[in-house]
Amino acid sequence: MDKRGANIDIVFRNGLEDYEVLPPQEVWDNIHPVVKRKRRPFILLRAAALIAVVLSMSFLAYRWSREVSTGHESTVVALNVETTSPVISPDIIRTIPVTGKENKVIQGSQKTKIKSTQDLTNTPDDENNISPAVGYLQVPNSLSASETPLLHGPRLVTLNSPQNKTFQIEEIKEQYLPENNAVKGTDRWSIAAMASPTYYSRFNSGNDELSKQLMASEENLISYSGGVAFSYKINKRFSIQSGLYYSSVGQMVDGINSFGGFQKYGNTAKGDPNFKVLTTNGTVRTNNADVFLLSNGPVERITTNYTNDVFDPIKANLLYLNNTLRQNFSYLELPIVLRYKFVDKKIDLNLIGGVSYNMLVNNSVYTMVDGGKYPIGDTEGLNLLTVSSSLGMGMEYSFSDKLSLNLEPTFRYYLNPFNEMTGSKIHPYSFGIFSGVSYKF
Amino acid sequence: MSEIKKIIKGCLAGNRREQELLYRRHAAKLYAVCLQYSGNDEEARDILQEGFIKIFENLVHYKHEGSFEGWMRRITVNTALEKFRSRHNLYRVDDIDQIPEPDAEPDNQDYAGLEANDLLGIIRELPPKYRMVFNLYAIEGYSHKEIGKMANISEGTSKSNLSRARVILQRRVGSYTGIKKRIANG
Repeated sequence: MDKRGANIDIVFRNGLEDYEVLPPQEVWDNIHPVVKRKRRPFILLRAAALIAVVLSMSFLAYRWSREVSTGHESTVVALNVETTSPVISPDIIRTIPVTGKENKVIQGSQKTKIKSTQDLTNTPDDENNISPAVGYLQVPNSLSASETPLLHGPRLVTLNSPQNKTFQIEEIKEQYLPENNAVKGTDRWSIAAMASPTYYSRFNSGNDELSKQLMASEENLISYSGGVAFSYKINKRFSIQSGLYYSSVGQMVDGINSFGGFQKYGNTAKGDPNFKVLTTNGTVRTNNADVFLLSNGPVERITTNYTNDVFDPIKANLLYLNNTLRQNFSYLELPIVLRYKFVDKKIDLNLIGGVSYNMLVNNSVYTMVDGGKYPIGDTEGLNLLTVSSSLGMGMEYSFSDKLSLNLEPTFRYYLNPFNEMTGSKIHPYSFGIFSGVSYKF
Repeated sequence: MSEIKKIIKGCLAGNRREQELLYRRHAAKLYAVCLQYSGNDEEARDILQEGFIKIFENLVHYKHEGSFEGWMRRITVNTALEKFRSRHNLYRVDDIDQIPEPDAEPDNQDYAGLEANDLLGIIRELPPKYRMVFNLYAIEGYSHKEIGKMANISEGTSKSNLSRARVILQRRVGSYTGIKKRIANG
């Protein structure tokens, strides 16, 4: 009778094989909002990352376009006779009186080289009075100015005198000048308070089937990171940063039914866990004697003396709690980061890279019951110290000389795993968008 | 890229149209499975709803190996099983139920004329624990050992439940076909 092909079995198997019944519309109406809501955190995170990247690219494009369009205007007046090298004047306003009573004002950080087509020693005294040291260019009223735009290379401004003495003012691009990387004595230090939601996941570069199966029923949690950072400006472009951060990462392990009320039945030796659960982040061991665990997934990951043959939680009327375990690890992090400022404007852009030493400060496993945490145990064999590398891009918007708002999308890769699981090569990584305020002093 | 891969990709991207398309394509078949595992329509709707939510949540783990429909069906059946475990006390039949094993009846009846709708009605009239074991064994093809683990019962209980389910089904199918024949003959 108990044979697979019993006639009655075949009747039902074949009869119901392609049977279809249209469900009521309300089912889909209830499904969609839930699916949409559950996806939101990840979508928001991706959207935020995208916005950050777009903003950064926009600023790069903006800066590049400004350089192209205004590069020639940023010049300084300098005087030069044919055979001498250009003299660069300091940043001051210079007035060049030109044709008639009209004055041409060349402002700010303009850098200009004047070439004469005649020997300047023969020019009137007024012209000889032109002194780079004074930093004030007096050109006789009788001189007229005209500009000769060049398609490539520096633009020439030609000054014509009635005596056909012609000066060509060659404007020199700022880029020809040595960059001043000096930093003021003040504002070298800054302190920043930063926080970020963090999406955490793992690369599995190994080929072992077990870790793949385990990973299939594990889901990473959105976690948080935050702390205080100090940075020291080495020069105008480079600064070094350190600080202290607190981060919390974790994952959900599906397919583990948990029940409460087991304490009166368990008689495991004191100190020994009643249950052990294998995960890719290590083995969970129960330290709550009241909890009973039962595997309900495709992978048998529980080790216990209380197998279902020995003890039936339903029959014992234990309280069903949940079918998911949550592993949580908290770290104190000491980052050492180098920042390179490649755009120095109202909004600065920085490339950020470095390493972080992370010390495990909390390790807990729990399940959720009615919105609250029900403790299960902890994860054994975790590395107390992990090292991660980070790469990111920082945007810094200055409210004032002292205060600025920071936004830093950062990718972090853990150089060693949380736990050395035999045969597997699982390296965690995380992506977060840190935001916060910094103060210079 | 096959059409189903495109739909899955769209679902993973959170595309509402693709999500609805996936649902519309497979809901009718999976709802029939839910009805098969439940005693009433409300329970079936709950299973379908929870099952599809799990399908969408776990799409990221689908490896495109084997039948996608089979993968969805397994999730739906597991959801029904979870629901069953939470609603019914699964005491071992041999512990709490001292009814002797029914005599096996010769299974040589003529089941002709039974439609899927009739079969569904008959299977849903089974007591929940018999229905669950019969479905898992006869329809899904699980072994008693697997059923024992899944439903949190012993192998013996699974065998016993299957045996009782078959006897009940044979009797009901027999009387059902008899009634149908009598109606047909006027």
